[in-house]
Amino acid sequence: MGDMSSSAHAPARPPRVAAPPRPPLTRDRDCLVAGVSAGLARHLGARVWMVRGLFIVLTLCGGAGAFLYAWCWMFTPWAEGESAPTRRMPVAWLLLAPAAVGMLVVLSWRGGSDWLSGTIPPGPAAAVVGGTAVFATGAGLWATLIDRTDTARGPRHTMSIRILAILLLALMFTVLLSWPVARSGVALVLIPLLGLAAVISSTLIPRWRELSGERIRRIREEQRSQMAAHLHDSVLQTLALIQNRAGASSEAARLARAQERELRAWLYDGDAPADSDLPTDLRDYAGALELDYPVRIDVVSAGLSAERASGELAAAAREAILNAARHAGGEISVYIEGSASGVDVFIRDRGAGFRIDDVPSDRLGVRESIIGRMRRAGGSGRVRSDDNGTEVHLSITAGAHQDRPVARTAASREENRG
Amino acid sequence: MADSIRVVIVDDHSIFRSGLRADLDASVDVVGEAADVPSAIAVIAETQPDVVLLDVHLPGGAGDDAAGGEAVIRGSAPTGARFLALSVSDAAADVVRVIRAGARGYITKGSSGIEVSSAVHAVAEGDAVFSPRLAGFVLDAFGAVAGETATATDELDRLSAREQEVMRLIARGYAYKEVASELFISIKTVETHVSSVLRKLQLSSRHELTAWASERRLL
Repeated sequence: MGDMSSSAHAPARPPRVAAPPRPPLTRDRDCLVAGVSAGLARHLGARVWMVRGLFIVLTLCGGAGAFLYAWCWMFTPWAEGESAPTRRMPVAWLLLAPAAVGMLVVLSWRGGSDWLSGTIPPGPAAAVVGGTAVFATGAGLWATLIDRTDTARGPRHTMSIRILAILLLALMFTVLLSWPVARSGVALVLIPLLGLAAVISSTLIPRWRELSGERIRRIREEQRSQMAAHLHDSVLQTLALIQNRAGASSEAARLARAQERELRAWLYDGDAPADSDLPTDLRDYAGALELDYPVRIDVVSAGLSAERASGELAAAAREAILNAARHAGGEISVYIEGSASGVDVFIRDRGAGFRIDDVPSDRLGVRESIIGRMRRAGGSGRVRSDDNGTEVHLSITAGAHQDRPVARTAASREENRG
Repeated sequence: MADSIRVVIVDDHSIFRSGLRADLDASVDVVGEAADVPSAIAVIAETQPDVVLLDVHLPGGAGDDAAGGEAVIRGSAPTGARFLALSVSDAAADVVRVIRAGARGYITKGSSGIEVSSAVHAVAEGDAVFSPRLAGFVLDAFGAVAGETATATDELDRLSAREQEVMRLIARGYAYKEVASELFISIKTVETHVSSVLRKLQLSSRHELTAWASERRLL
């Protein structure tokens, strides 16, 4: 209301409203032909049929619309998505149909031998022959290059279109060739021949694309390994030297070690599985702890472990590593052994050691988070400690660590407490 | 002279060589240095050291740099030098390859001077140097985790029950002395077991040794 009155006072300056951001100019993956009109209409906020009408009208004006369409087609990216684009319009068949009609016209001319008597002027003859060849070639190319990846059509569709297009062009070629007085131009005979060559050779294009993609990948791989070798030789050596000279538990050494681990992960673990297993998870956890505590944690694993990183065993192992880092420091060894019968994890430190009976009963760390947790999960946790250090041994037998609801609620309750 | 161990350091990074040289303790006498394969072979032949600290990756070999360490070991076969591989490499394949070429163990370049010195002593006395990771790899590669155990003493492709126990303790971070007291055996016996595992690692034809090594990272 206030706006209304103020604009009434100053009618010369209507309030400026910031234009809402336009949707990006992209082509839908599920489209009629190429998605150009729909994408353009969405971007401009116009109706789709209006955009289509505009293209058609412009095409009538000396073909400008067709060029504009092709230009938009080339430079508009596909909308975000994984699926291959699919087209509702059977473009290949629509191209093949006029070609078939044109072929029939040529055949009827041939039957009537009108050309011989000169009743057919060379102009329309060239137009019909040329148009037929262009449509048939277009159908063949469309089926090979564009419909090939369309999941709604598939290879059988591509094959049948190609065969029909090739048959049409070959028939046209023989008809023109056998025409005794087809002197209206060698060019006319050449048109279907060129089309034939284009349709047949078009299968080579995807193969060539594949080949060049393969080559690019190989070059990238080569560059990457060269870079890895270089980094390996220079940077990793330097980081090792820094750790060596700075002393195991100094700040500089810890930073160098963290950096080294990151670099290694980048260099060698290119395609690590996203869902991490127990050793990978504990290694990552150890790496994070090394930044916070003056420790060096060495994680060694043997055997293949089916144990998930989210399981109770992993939680107990993390707790034990944290305890070792917090109370003992220095060098910590973690050894994970996974076999068909179960998984064992050993966490050893070189601290002063402690007696589990001396730990006050209200301290939950070792007794609850490690031993109790393992017992509830159906495994066992043992702590052995003397003057030379502490070793925690966690073990679980295969099958015992299935997600038992009891174990799960007990663990979550405990986490609430701690 | 009797106590001092003559050592040659072979590494293509001079900064690393000088750093290591400064870090090694007094009982280790560095008699030579080399930066590539031909000069390493020449220096080893000339100085006849007890132990060679050898980088796994070295330029100047016949193949690529990764094979440089092996080339030095092969080229220095006539001398009585023992080899301790130094590596920043993550590739188990590289480490296992130099060990199979004849190195008595390997140690990471991040190790402190004291650790390197004690490893040099162990190698000089003919023992093998096993890191926890190498022990874990050996357990894996010889099928010990899957329960394969050698029945005959001369079997090369599997570990005996005792060797497995020793390897497990080393993988858990135990020093030889601690392994000995844990298993109620002498240190000498532990060293014998470790040496026999090293021999198996060098001579065995188990395909896992090479196949797994190429897939896994050791350090």
